[in-house]
Amino acid sequence: MTTVQARQAGRAAGEQTRARYPDDEGHVEREGVRVFWERYGDGEPTVFLLPTWSIVHARFWKAQIPYLARHFRVVTFDGRGNGRSDRPEGAAAYSEREFAADALAVLDATATERAVLVSLSCGALWSTLLAADHPGRVDGIVYIGPAVGLAPPHPERAVHSFFEPLDTDEGWARYNRHYWLRDYRGFLQYFFSRCLTEPHSTKQQEDCVAWALEIAPETLIDTEQGLLLCGLESFERQCRRLRCPVLVVHGDEDAIRPHAQGAALAAATGGRLVTLAGAGHLPQARDPVKVNLLIREFVESLGGRVR
Amino acid sequence: MTLTTTAREQTRALYPDQQGSIERDGVRVSWERYGSGEPTLLLLPAWSIIHSRQWKAQIPYLARHYRVVTFDGRGNGRSDRPSVAEAYDDAEFVADAVAVLDATGTGRAVLVGLSRGGRWAVELAAARPERVLGAVLIDPAIGFVAPPHPWWTQPFDEELDTDEGWAKWNRHYWLRHYLEFLEFFAGEVFPELHSTKQIEDMVGWGLETTAETLVLTQLGSQPASREEMEAILGRVRCPVLVVHGDDDRVRPLAIGVAAAELTGGTLVAIEGGGHCPQARHPVRVNLCIREFVESLGGRVR
Repeated sequence: MTTVQARQAGRAAGEQTRARYPDDEGHVEREGVRVFWERYGDGEPTVFLLPTWSIVHARFWKAQIPYLARHFRVVTFDGRGNGRSDRPEGAAAYSEREFAADALAVLDATATERAVLVSLSCGALWSTLLAADHPGRVDGIVYIGPAVGLAPPHPERAVHSFFEPLDTDEGWARYNRHYWLRDYRGFLQYFFSRCLTEPHSTKQQEDCVAWALEIAPETLIDTEQGLLLCGLESFERQCRRLRCPVLVVHGDEDAIRPHAQGAALAAATGGRLVTLAGAGHLPQARDPVKVNLLIREFVESLGGRVR
Repeated sequence: MTLTTTAREQTRALYPDQQGSIERDGVRVSWERYGSGEPTLLLLPAWSIIHSRQWKAQIPYLARHYRVVTFDGRGNGRSDRPSVAEAYDDAEFVADAVAVLDATGTGRAVLVGLSRGGRWAVELAAARPERVLGAVLIDPAIGFVAPPHPWWTQPFDEELDTDEGWAKWNRHYWLRHYLEFLEFFAGEVFPELHSTKQIEDMVGWGLETTAETLVLTQLGSQPASREEMEAILGRVRCPVLVVHGDDDRVRPLAIGVAAAELTGGTLVAIEGGGHCPQARHPVRVNLCIREFVESLGGRVR
């Protein structure tokens, strides 16, 4: 598909105008599930922007792509369950192993021998797995607001059951599958208001809610259950297998995943921790310039290692 | 009412190279000068519900190319707040502008006026053509050249039995619920989505003056008749650019259309723009201003 066709396809789907359109796009298929990728620019090295939880799709990198693609080759893909990728049924299709395998398949399909991985939130699970299993393909990892169980969650998020019907809809009680099926938009608005706690985030919240409406609540429940399969013990073991340089970027007001989780991940991987003052869970959307410069600086620091 | 705030100013993208004040009839008005290019742009104040930080998205860009002078309209910012309504007559703001031109050694300038500042720009251009190279009118508040919005017909001075919507445009409501008025008005000024920052700025600047002062600014402004205003617009001889949001809920686009027609100027309608496009569509507005200034070409130098 040409860039012009892609632009028209995007328009047909009601997508917003983009600051930059992909130079190439396609899909890979694994066990009947199609996953849609895009490639921007052709610099060196390749920066691989991984999907996160499928509540959103690859447009959550919209503030990174135009900048990074001026310097590097950038590859993204829509995580299964959202965007232009398929929506398989059942929790098993959404384990971190499936996302890691999709990522590897996209590397192959785009003829990307090696890449610097950038992951957000849950994306930490598959970036870690991919780098641990295929060290020859990964030059470094940037973790943004990593959702890793290396430190306790926020206490208010540990009160309510996800599975059981609750007698309240207040606050984090909305993180509940019955509530999702009852008032999906209400959940999304609450969830993204907690993701984007910075003042004047209405645009970013609106973007996220719209992307989340591209996945059905039933499918989102599958993705949530798929992620719950991820064990802490095995994740710690994966961290210890990492050999590449690591940068962790975490907001100190992240209301979804405590800053302590990012700090613990930096400690576990021997990586560098950058704390963003006043930032919430999605600094790539709300502090894009800062985050972009950090990614670029990290990629440049890999220097000879990359080429 | 405890609305007095110590105004702790936000960081600026660019700080003035020079500042000072003028005094007329005991009222001090503070000005600032940025950059030293040619020509000089005088960014006029608007209604004193805000002050010269209204131009924060213009100053850094324009000062890279031109000499930029701003001042805080009497009643807000670092200017005095005289306590009589006559001090806020439109002629006083125009006279302040001339005094600032004099104090900053500015022979001639391109005027840029927003809302009420658009009216003052027109009056200044008509009265002192030798000082004005051109005028940019942004959502000008020039009464009666076109009908006002239908919702803006409530009597300002009378006690109303409702506080709903534009009934808040009322001196009694201002004195009772100043913050609520500011929030309402800023919401009307910025109909564009995702304007929370601009609304917060405007409310913050509004809190640097008082409801009492704002009532005086309103009582002091003498609405000119349609014939008077048309005569003034007809006397403008300099080039004119009108920029007007087509979703301006304070001053309808029809005013901008009439102002452009009556001055022989150019109209740029900002699609989806509200009453303060300079804040919400700054790149667009800045490029319009620059293109206009450049078009003056030989006239300027």
